[in-house]
Amino acid sequence: MKQSPHLFKENAKRALSDPTLKTALRRTTGLLRRRRAQVIADYPEYAAAREAAEKIKDHTLENLAHYLEMFEANALGSGAQVHWAATPDQATDIVVDICKAEGARTATRVKSMLGEEIGLPEALARAGVKRIETDLAEHIIQLADDPPSHIVMPAMHKTHEQVAELFRAKHADPAATDHIAALVESARRELRQKFLDADIGISGANFLIADTGSVVAITNEGDAELTTTPPKTHIVTVGIEKIVPSMAHATVFLRLLARAAIGAEITQYTTFFNGPKRQGDADGPENMHIVLVDNHRTEMLGGFLQPMLRCIRCGACMNHCPVYSAVGGHAYGAVYPGPMGSVLTPVMSSLQEAGDLPNACTLNGRCQEVCPVNIPLPDMLRSLRVRQFDRKLTPGMARIALKLWGWLAARPRLYRLGAGAGVLALRLWARGRGRIRRVPHAAGWTRHRDLPAPEKGTFMQQYARKKRR
Amino acid sequence: MSSARDSILNAVRARTPAPGVHGDIGKAAAALIATPSRYQPQFDQQGNLERFIAKATSERVTASIGRVATVEAVPAEVARYLKDCRLAPSLALQPREELTGLNWTGLETHPGIAADEPAALTIADLAIAETGSVVLRSGPDAPVLMNFLPLHHIVVLHEELIHRHLEDVFGLLGDGPAEQPRNLCIVTGTSGTADIEAVNVRGAHGPRFMHVVIVDKP
Repeated sequence: MKQSPHLFKENAKRALSDPTLKTALRRTTGLLRRRRAQVIADYPEYAAAREAAEKIKDHTLENLAHYLEMFEANALGSGAQVHWAATPDQATDIVVDICKAEGARTATRVKSMLGEEIGLPEALARAGVKRIETDLAEHIIQLADDPPSHIVMPAMHKTHEQVAELFRAKHADPAATDHIAALVESARRELRQKFLDADIGISGANFLIADTGSVVAITNEGDAELTTTPPKTHIVTVGIEKIVPSMAHATVFLRLLARAAIGAEITQYTTFFNGPKRQGDADGPENMHIVLVDNHRTEMLGGFLQPMLRCIRCGACMNHCPVYSAVGGHAYGAVYPGPMGSVLTPVMSSLQEAGDLPNACTLNGRCQEVCPVNIPLPDMLRSLRVRQFDRKLTPGMARIALKLWGWLAARPRLYRLGAGAGVLALRLWARGRGRIRRVPHAAGWTRHRDLPAPEKGTFMQQYARKKRR
Repeated sequence: MSSARDSILNAVRARTPAPGVHGDIGKAAAALIATPSRYQPQFDQQGNLERFIAKATSERVTASIGRVATVEAVPAEVARYLKDCRLAPSLALQPREELTGLNWTGLETHPGIAADEPAALTIADLAIAETGSVVLRSGPDAPVLMNFLPLHHIVVLHEELIHRHLEDVFGLLGDGPAEQPRNLCIVTGTSGTADIEAVNVRGAHGPRFMHVVIVDKP
């Protein structure tokens, strides 16, 4: 997809004045947050599971070379072919070469963010391979020619009314009504035969199991099995951080992933793929290729960003982020949006290219709180800001403001005086109302929302009052 | 591309602490999951069968349950189900002797599976009480597509094959590559999607209905 993270401010401005997007985001993020809260409340062992998950990922990352070699040996033993790619171009070249060698004309594909990351859709188009997205959301955005806006629900930015209009224009036999169930049925009709006729099936992987060489893919729709079973060849593209030691270790993540992502105890389909079709097997692909992709992951090892490699791509951080919930995924202009994306994009492009992304965060800490593997996202974003400041990438006015604030913050008496005066001024401006609609020179804040009027007195003033009592 | 392999593995080694002896890594990995009861959902008040039924029929999983005393009673239960669903008395049958050897008088059965198959019957190899899931292995007598193409997926499950947690099932499957089937699928209810406005809808690409016929313990 076309990347434009440096345009975050312009993109966000546009997103904030789009009422349809606002409706779509409100309908989805709210529902996802409520479902997750319920299913976590029903799982008293959640805290222990989260701790175990964090430790398993850390252990695996600390011994990553050992586990990658173990996985490779076992996958080869199952009859799969294993490829390694340091860069996105190497990865897509491997996939395209396989397609060409097979004379493939069509490829069905299961949603995989790694595929988006390495530019697989574009590479297939250049090679003349017709790509058929099978995940419902990916099918929608393929028809609309949109990039994904969420890592679990890539069509989150679309309302059902928009999807209905799209399907009426593009489906051979569209639904008669706009009901969501009818739209799902329409996509089922549209894709059924295409599954069976494809030359290649391409998937990602949620986990790689080192001691069995298994590739694990989870879906709710069942499109992973329908994509990878009928074609002659199954290609997997996967990041090297997806590895876990064994099936019993993977289980810890299976419980967390569905809960965090969609508020379910487990996804409908969890499939372990072990190599190509065996002698006598009733069905399955004759060839299985696994492409292990680095793309800057090794650079994150051993540094302050290493915990980011624990990420299992559940999307909970974005569902709970006030910035994401207001602007949606497209504003980030990158494959990975939201808090986890604001950490990954600077690594996968550059700190300069990522522009304002590390600043698109209120540091409220909810992303880390809901993260099933406890990634310190706010700390990482803060560290990235410091690096931007040190490398003079922060814009001039912001640098002056930060310096001024720093000077003031080092002088507590003056700081308190200034803060007290500010609170007083805002309270006078609010004239007894709870919310402030407009503040001179602060349109950037008040254009799309009200500023709450401050409480009586600054924190320090209230603290002093309470202490006297 | 062996050069990419070397460059990735070398970069990993350069940035991770000195690797331990293989045996030590294995021990450390095992220690991390030594007490699964700490993080497994506990359901002390429920037996395996009770929990399986409660989860499988929950709003989220949406399967229905039939109970029979012996496997010989399966055809009658399947015929009843098809009739209740107003389906034709026709069925794609997994080519396993345990199923094909039953008396299917009154029902038309066939071994193949069509793209728009209304109903198929397969056997569950294992099941998980924790989540209400069935475990299906691929093989010469178990085509994968039979679990995904039909609109109604009917599954025969022997009660004694219901295990408590996910880990118990994996324990039975072993941890060596040779012991794994090509395709091992944990199926929890019916195909669903929440991709339009996060609303849950059934029958996305796979089965819209699942009926589990539980055969009582001998």
